[in-house]
Amino acid sequence: MDPVSILLGGFASGMVLFIVSVGLSVTMGLMGFVNLAHGGFAMLGGYVIVLAMKHWGFLFLPSVALAFVTVALFAVVLERLLYARLYRATELDQVLFTIGLVFVMTAAVTLGVGPETQVVQLPDWLRGQTDLGFIKYRTYSLALIAAGVLLAIGIWLGFERTRFGARIRAAVDNRRMAQSLGVDVGRLFAVTFAIGSGIAAVGGGLGAEILGLDPNYPLRYLVYFLIVVSVGGLGRVTGVFFAALFIGVLDFVLKIYFPKGGTIFIYVLTLVLLLWRPRGLFGRRGA
Amino acid sequence: MLETRGLCKSFGALEVAREIDFRLERGARHALIGPNGAGKTTFVNLLTGVLLPSRGNVLLEGEDVTTLAQAKRVKRGIARTFQINQLFRGLTVQENLCIAVSERLGVGGAMLRPAGKRADVIDEASRLMEILKLGEDAGRRVVELPYGRQRLVELAIALGLNPRVLLLDEPAAGIPSAESHILLDAIATLPKDIAVLIIEHDMDLVFRFADRITVLVSGAIFAEGTPAEIAANREVRAVYLGSALDA
Amino acid sequence: MIAATQLARRHRFRWWELLPWVAGIAVFFAFPNYLSFATQVLITILFALSLDLVLGYAGIVTLGHAAFFGAGAYTVGMLAMHWGWHEPFSGLLAAALVAAVIGFASGMVLLRTHGLTLLMLTLCTMTLLEQAANMSAAWTGGFDGMPGLSFSKILGLFGFDALYFRSQYLYALATLFLCFVVVRMLVYSSFGQSLTGVRENLLRMHAIGAPVRTRQVLAYTVSAALAGVAGALFTQANGYVNLAVLGLERSAGVMIVLILGGYGRLYGAFVGATAYMVLEHTLAKAYPTAWQLGLGLTLIAVALFARNGVIGIADSLRRRLEGSAR
Repeated sequence: MDPVSILLGGFASGMVLFIVSVGLSVTMGLMGFVNLAHGGFAMLGGYVIVLAMKHWGFLFLPSVALAFVTVALFAVVLERLLYARLYRATELDQVLFTIGLVFVMTAAVTLGVGPETQVVQLPDWLRGQTDLGFIKYRTYSLALIAAGVLLAIGIWLGFERTRFGARIRAAVDNRRMAQSLGVDVGRLFAVTFAIGSGIAAVGGGLGAEILGLDPNYPLRYLVYFLIVVSVGGLGRVTGVFFAALFIGVLDFVLKIYFPKGGTIFIYVLTLVLLLWRPRGLFGRRGA
Repeated sequence: MLETRGLCKSFGALEVAREIDFRLERGARHALIGPNGAGKTTFVNLLTGVLLPSRGNVLLEGEDVTTLAQAKRVKRGIARTFQINQLFRGLTVQENLCIAVSERLGVGGAMLRPAGKRADVIDEASRLMEILKLGEDAGRRVVELPYGRQRLVELAIALGLNPRVLLLDEPAAGIPSAESHILLDAIATLPKDIAVLIIEHDMDLVFRFADRITVLVSGAIFAEGTPAEIAANREVRAVYLGSALDA
Repeated sequence: MIAATQLARRHRFRWWELLPWVAGIAVFFAFPNYLSFATQVLITILFALSLDLVLGYAGIVTLGHAAFFGAGAYTVGMLAMHWGWHEPFSGLLAAALVAAVIGFASGMVLLRTHGLTLLMLTLCTMTLLEQAANMSAAWTGGFDGMPGLSFSKILGLFGFDALYFRSQYLYALATLFLCFVVVRMLVYSSFGQSLTGVRENLLRMHAIGAPVRTRQVLAYTVSAALAGVAGALFTQANGYVNLAVLGLERSAGVMIVLILGGYGRLYGAFVGATAYMVLEHTLAKAYPTAWQLGLGLTLIAVALFARNGVIGIADSLRRRLEGSAR
């Protein structure tokens, strides 16, 4: 494969990692909540899209929107009812709770839809190849990259240019300070959690081509999502973006050249990096 | 006994300690007062090694301990209490004290003998509980005690380290005034050559306890002297006592 | 002073502490056809017990404990496969040693961090070992592992039988007993007491001058060695080893077992492993999805309401009864 194709392929999977993980980064950064169930929301999004298209006659884009809305609503209900009770709990309780939640989601999907792998039917305009002038590449991958970049810019603008984003940044940097300045961190978190889960749902659907979609999705990719988040730094949108791209490309390259266990380098790299900078590449030092 | 020279600490642009020259004499009963945010707790953190200063030195009996790790300073006799209780909440009062005493006696890492057979440790813990009138609560978990009682455990742990320098960060905060005499009595039972530095907002307590007072404002020493001198100092009254009286 | 003598009496042996071992021997005679399963239970108890030392006592939250189980399992497997080392006891010791070395080395480095970073690092260390075992197929058998391993007779007398686990069961029971004696000693020692201090309040532990990290690394190393023994027992008893000994599933599984039983209480591992595995054995085979659903709901409930597991619930009931009796 030529380098440009490899780069594009890597970017495409990196974008999927970014779209799924970005919400996790912000919510973990805000509350310090160890949420191992985040991948579950991505999976649910994928299933909503599949079901909407197969059984309810939705087109592709409307089903993606539907996935965002339903999963975001579901997430906010869970957050208010259950997550909120565990903000002050120990890490261990948070780990237990979210692992339990993953089990429940996996079992529910298996019972409701079935254990087999689902395929997201792509619309015609996303199939085939697109000629970029210098190279012909899969339209779908290119669309993924475009979607990822647009989303990243959108989230970044939301973070940097809105009052809501400013509040989140303040709360990530210093929750107590933000609280004493009158930011309602609880509500902020609920909204962020909903949006983050909704975006993950979109990622689960859009990325199904690359990551697949079946009931074991949340556990299988858990480590990857966590690596992206911890390498990028908690609560750092740009950090997660670059970390996801980097890991996406690296993973893509390793799988081509070292199909047998080449991914070991990703773990080595993560280990070394986290030991060198426990708060991630883009995380703030100290505090 | 314990001395700082030109001690500075800043977090970014925020200066929380400025050129602090401070002496705590052997056997002193010294109080550190100042408005909220004056940097009193930061100062204690600098003395105990929780924070490293940006500039300046900390000396213990003339020896430079500026970069010495916290644990090593404890071994040299600097003990502290925290403004907010830092206790082993899920453990009993007795266990809380035994852990501290074991550490001082250097048996905290012993793996073979049951902790319950360390008569020396247990006796010492019992003695501490007697001093602080905690005997009844020996077998109760700290989390089950009212806050005021927990406060006494906090002090007992520090005493259990057999300190030569004792730093008390608002020890009476949260103790019902009916019980605060237990605290003062406990401090009174300490050997006379122990140096005690107390941070306190309760001016009654400060003037009853201290033979010397330092006033800290915005990270710098504002005034220092005997209680009578401080009480008579107009500027202190204006900056601190006045505002405390108004409040 | 009744209360003050509490601590002095706690380490003493109580009559009911005989029960697990009496039950263990009774199982041998009462259920000769289930000894294979019962052996797996014993191995899980030992694994959970090792985790209790770090998680329950030292308060180190790890998702990578299977790294040590796997290290032990692969150690005896590779020794038997490549070097003709089939003697079981020395195999256990070798496994303990290898796991301890890995535990010590990784503990020295990882335990400087905490929270999410520590969680990630333990997870990465384990995945690293898993990938390494997957890659070096010449040594480890790669994905398929090493089937059909044989071990020599215990004490030269009792052979491992792949169908009747009589020898394996007693061997595992004896090993568990020895390891338990060590853990019990540690837990009631001053060292164990200081570990609970580390768990309860790190800040205070530093402030009383305790060498916190040394204690944590020591606990981590001992725990790794015990997990290694559990892994070695797994390979020896079953006669095979594969990648499943190293996965996230095993790490998460043992954590769940310990939490459900009650952590930081010595017998939680026994209760948790037995209850979990018996339920899993009867339910999971027949209704795997319902089992997963039930387990998930249970974990959520435990995290929200009953933080100390089965033994914890029993404890608080007892406390309440004693309270009302007073």
